[in-house]
Amino acid sequence: MFSRQIEIGGKVSKGLKALEEKVFNENFCAVCGACLSLCPYLRSWKGRVVKLDDCTLEEGRCFAYCPRTEMELDEVHRGIFGKNYEEIEVGPVRKILMARAKDPIFHQKAQTGGVVSALIDFAFQEKMIEAGVLTPRNGDLLPQGQIVKNRKEILRCAGSSYVSGPTLEAFNRGPWKGEERIGIVGLPCQVLAMARMKISKLDKKTPIDRVVLVIGLFCTWALDYKPFMSLLHERVGGHSIKKLNITPPPERILEVTAGNKLYRIPVDDLRSFIRPSCRVCLDMTAELADISVGTVEGKEGWNTVIIRTAVGEDLLKRAQREGIVETRLLPEDHLRHLKQASLLKKRRALEAIDGKGGIEKAYVRLSTDLIQRILSESKGIKT
Amino acid sequence: MKSIIQNIPGKTVLLMGNEAIARGALEAGVKVCAAYPGNPSSEIIGTLAQVADEMGLHVEWSVNEKVALEVAAAASFAGLRGLCAMKQNGLNVASDFLLNLNLTGCRGGLVLVVADDPAGVSSSNEEDSRIFAKLGDLPLLEPAHFQEAKEMTTFAFEISEQLGLPVLIRSVTRVSHARGNVCLDELPQSSHRPGFETNRPLTAFPALPHHKILHEKFNRAKQIVEASPFNIYRGPEKPELMVFTCGSGWMYSLEAVISLNAQDRVGILKLGTTWPLPENLVTQHLRQADRILFLEEVDPFLENNVKEIYAQNCLTLGLKAFFGKTSGHVPDIGELHPENVLRAIQSIMNISYEPRPSDYAARAREAAAELIPDRALGFCAGCPHRSTYWAIKVALALDGRDGIVLGDIGCYSLGIGPSGFGQMKTLHAMGSGTGLACGFGQLNHFGLNQPVIAVCGDSTFYHAAMPALANAHYNGANFLLLLLDNSATAMTGFQPHPGTGETATGKEAPVIDLKAICEVFGARVEVVDPFDVEATVKTLLNLLQDEKGVRVLILKRECALLSAKHQRRLFRVEVDQKRCLGETCGCNRLCTRLFKCPGLMWDKSAGKARIDEAICTGCGVCAEICPASAIRKEKI
Amino acid sequence: MFIPKDPFNVIVGGVGGQGNVLASQILGEMLIIQGYVITIGETYGASQRGGAVMSHLRISAKDQFSPLIPEGKCDLLVALEPVEGLRILAHYGNPGVITLLNLRPIHPIDVISGDIVYPELSQVIAKIKELSRQVWALNATEVALEIGDPIFSNIVMLGALNAIEVLPIHRRGFESVIVDLFPSRTLNENLMAFDKGREVVQKIH
Repeated sequence: MFSRQIEIGGKVSKGLKALEEKVFNENFCAVCGACLSLCPYLRSWKGRVVKLDDCTLEEGRCFAYCPRTEMELDEVHRGIFGKNYEEIEVGPVRKILMARAKDPIFHQKAQTGGVVSALIDFAFQEKMIEAGVLTPRNGDLLPQGQIVKNRKEILRCAGSSYVSGPTLEAFNRGPWKGEERIGIVGLPCQVLAMARMKISKLDKKTPIDRVVLVIGLFCTWALDYKPFMSLLHERVGGHSIKKLNITPPPERILEVTAGNKLYRIPVDDLRSFIRPSCRVCLDMTAELADISVGTVEGKEGWNTVIIRTAVGEDLLKRAQREGIVETRLLPEDHLRHLKQASLLKKRRALEAIDGKGGIEKAYVRLSTDLIQRILSESKGIKT
Repeated sequence: MKSIIQNIPGKTVLLMGNEAIARGALEAGVKVCAAYPGNPSSEIIGTLAQVADEMGLHVEWSVNEKVALEVAAAASFAGLRGLCAMKQNGLNVASDFLLNLNLTGCRGGLVLVVADDPAGVSSSNEEDSRIFAKLGDLPLLEPAHFQEAKEMTTFAFEISEQLGLPVLIRSVTRVSHARGNVCLDELPQSSHRPGFETNRPLTAFPALPHHKILHEKFNRAKQIVEASPFNIYRGPEKPELMVFTCGSGWMYSLEAVISLNAQDRVGILKLGTTWPLPENLVTQHLRQADRILFLEEVDPFLENNVKEIYAQNCLTLGLKAFFGKTSGHVPDIGELHPENVLRAIQSIMNISYEPRPSDYAARAREAAAELIPDRALGFCAGCPHRSTYWAIKVALALDGRDGIVLGDIGCYSLGIGPSGFGQMKTLHAMGSGTGLACGFGQLNHFGLNQPVIAVCGDSTFYHAAMPALANAHYNGANFLLLLLDNSATAMTGFQPHPGTGETATGKEAPVIDLKAICEVFGARVEVVDPFDVEATVKTLLNLLQDEKGVRVLILKRECALLSAKHQRRLFRVEVDQKRCLGETCGCNRLCTRLFKCPGLMWDKSAGKARIDEAICTGCGVCAEICPASAIRKEKI
Repeated sequence: MFIPKDPFNVIVGGVGGQGNVLASQILGEMLIIQGYVITIGETYGASQRGGAVMSHLRISAKDQFSPLIPEGKCDLLVALEPVEGLRILAHYGNPGVITLLNLRPIHPIDVISGDIVYPELSQVIAKIKELSRQVWALNATEVALEIGDPIFSNIVMLGALNAIEVLPIHRRGFESVIVDLFPSRTLNENLMAFDKGREVVQKIH
């Protein structure tokens, strides 16, 4: 199932054939969109990536960019951070803070502190970027990538539907003028795909080298669109859904705002819809981003912010200076909790991978040493 | 002047077998001609339609074969001569009426021509329609060449009137669709006023007395065929082998016997009246030889019927050896041709034969095996069906529920093959796609979760799918019907139909609007242009997911051959060689490897696609699907 | 001029849509007005749909022959497409056959798709030459495109056939047949195609 290679005519395939067998057939597609709009044989439809026809190429970008095909994690990290992967808790870190946007406009629709929207908006104002690739949802809560150019469009992308969407499809598709600097907000799988795009030696034909800012979003899992939607529609009837929010533990309730009413669905009812792709994901905090942003449990209206690169650090500093966001130190117990949650996701992913045929056959290659560290440091962590 | 209406007795003209039949009908003074087109029968009525006005005929393309036979029969009931033509499948449709018509009989001469398609070259099936003559106790004639096709048709009208029965003429592809010399006879000047004798009703009920009358008529037919000039013997008085043949087998046999230099050893009895058989003539020829070979197309009809006669007379005839389809000396499927006829005679007679020097034959076959690529059938360049199936393929893949496409009869039947991306999964009779969908569309009650699609052409819809659509709405079947409206009965040669606004004789006709019919039948109806691939995919997906009863999508785009005929070319198309990605990642030859329109070429040395300007019809669909926008279309 | 033997067997072959049926019909009409007994058979099956097609023409001074030529009995081959010419020779050819060949290939869809290859043209021509007593070759499609429409390739080939003087046909006969069969507006183009075909072959002389 997890065997690393498939062969076509005696050659190891790194093309669509391999992608189909190792990712689509195994239901490991993360629907990140990295393979879309590059290729006429792949299209997304209602939360799935669909293969339309066979491709005979032995090597292709679809396979090379996918966050669920064979990769050496050290190689990816060397390409982005210039060094091997060592920081097993939450990835490379310059600073970890809590923050929130000052302008209340960013709070209205945002999941928590509005930091992501505020930072992207600020990056535009600072002329750091001329285009953003974000993820709005359509009327059916189906997330889709979109190129945004102004605040109004940015605000439309705030919030979450707990479903992953092919954000990178929009990035690949454009249209691009060819000069613009680009900022992207993505889930860990999407950030990983961007990193793979960046370091790939294949002829790119994407604007990856003009991406100057990557903001990652924390993610524990995403739901399979179709069954999740049928459940929602079953619970709320014909009303159109305005907002979804999951309350912090220990309650963990999905609050659905629909037709002026609030419906409450226990998160445990959703677990069976978690994408298999998320169960083998090692990354909760988008470890390859410039800045990663998530919630802070128990601190309503604040975001956790992990600064990983000089670009991220500089942006946040300026945003603070200009009064766009305010920051505080993340309390020690919250920091500990964050690291534990991240390690727990890694541990569970390793276990899931192990159950599927052994860690040595997994899509992502890690040194035995790192695997041992993750397993020992995550020992005893409870949800 | 059209050869078909030249009134120059004695003049020899080149006519197709179907034209010869049409001419025969004209010489017999036919007045009403009706058919539904179907190869290899289409040119019979097609030819008559062209001369209808000059000859004062009523000629029509009826919506289906049963109606066509009813139209021709009505003329006969009113005392005029009527002609109806169809292919073998058509007789299945018309058979319900035919097997009542035999009991009522007819008045004016009524001739039903059935052109069989041995090997099913342009049919969904291979079928021998002669069995219907036996089934209905109806006289059956089989022309063996062009002159006979004409003469037999005239004769058929005469005996139809003598007997008061419709007469069947069974033609085959190699008679109907071949051309040869035909010597013309006079065209009659007749003006008979029709009238129906209301004091002599025509009803099949009560069946028994009518069945008795039919048998009496049939016995009279047996007398008539004994003297028929269409039954010919050629050969020695006491041949070593007696060939019984009919239709196309006649000329193959003659040539084979000459090639084998066996004129003194082999006799050939060619029968033109194959039902009822001339029993005396048959017995007499059975007596002359101990070895009998049957050469005929499709089923062993002649073979079995002659064996019946033999069984009745075996005490006086003595022992015989029979060869044919039953013995395996003649293939029991497919057409007769010079080789299999020659081989049959050769193997029975044990004569050696070499058609050409063996070393040449070996070299020729070797060259063929080494160099000749297969030439698979496919849709024409610019055919709207190609883009329709492309859209179906994409929509079904995106939908992801393994949708089923139920097929129907027409050019689009090629959807079973690579040119239609193998999308079509069933293929039976006219209208069967929609009928099957009525059934599949009920199976979700049992847990079927695959979406159901039926495809149907415009002409096929009027022919046989309308009742199925009514059934669908009435019984609440859940499916999507795609009407592939190319404004033509393209497969059979562009005959007009109720949707085209034109009659068989080129007169203006009311258009029976497909959309309006479907709406009356309670369906949600959308219309798209299949050349707009993306819009078609979207609409398809939308309709597939709206699973409430029957939905109809009309894919409206004129047949590419019609557009070419009327010089309605849409675009000038070319491939920007710089932008073409060729075999690289991001394309990998989508247009040539998968879409495969014959107007495209793969330039292997350049690694780029090109347009073949000798074939491209300028539909511009390849420009739509090119992922690199390298194919450019420029409006003409 | 008479037919070289009786029956004289001609095959006009090519790809569906190239007009082989029409070419053979015109040829038949040109011969019947001279008193010959003609039979034309067609493997028309899916003639408009890109398949291999051919028409069989049997010419006799006395008898009607069957619409199909027996194996190895083709006397004259008019090939509208190279590999189709070879395909016909493989079954119907013999050491005495004369071949008139249009050099322009039409790729089968499986060649377009890359599933199979179209053989080297030079190899195909060499084989056709090896299997024929005499070969006349021209690019009739190109000539037709010069006239303005590839549809005239078959008429160009008929002109070429006239020029090689194997059959008792002439331009006058062609003209009278065309006048009978086609709308008058196409007369000039058809005559031009016929004449160009003749010229091209006369140049080969």
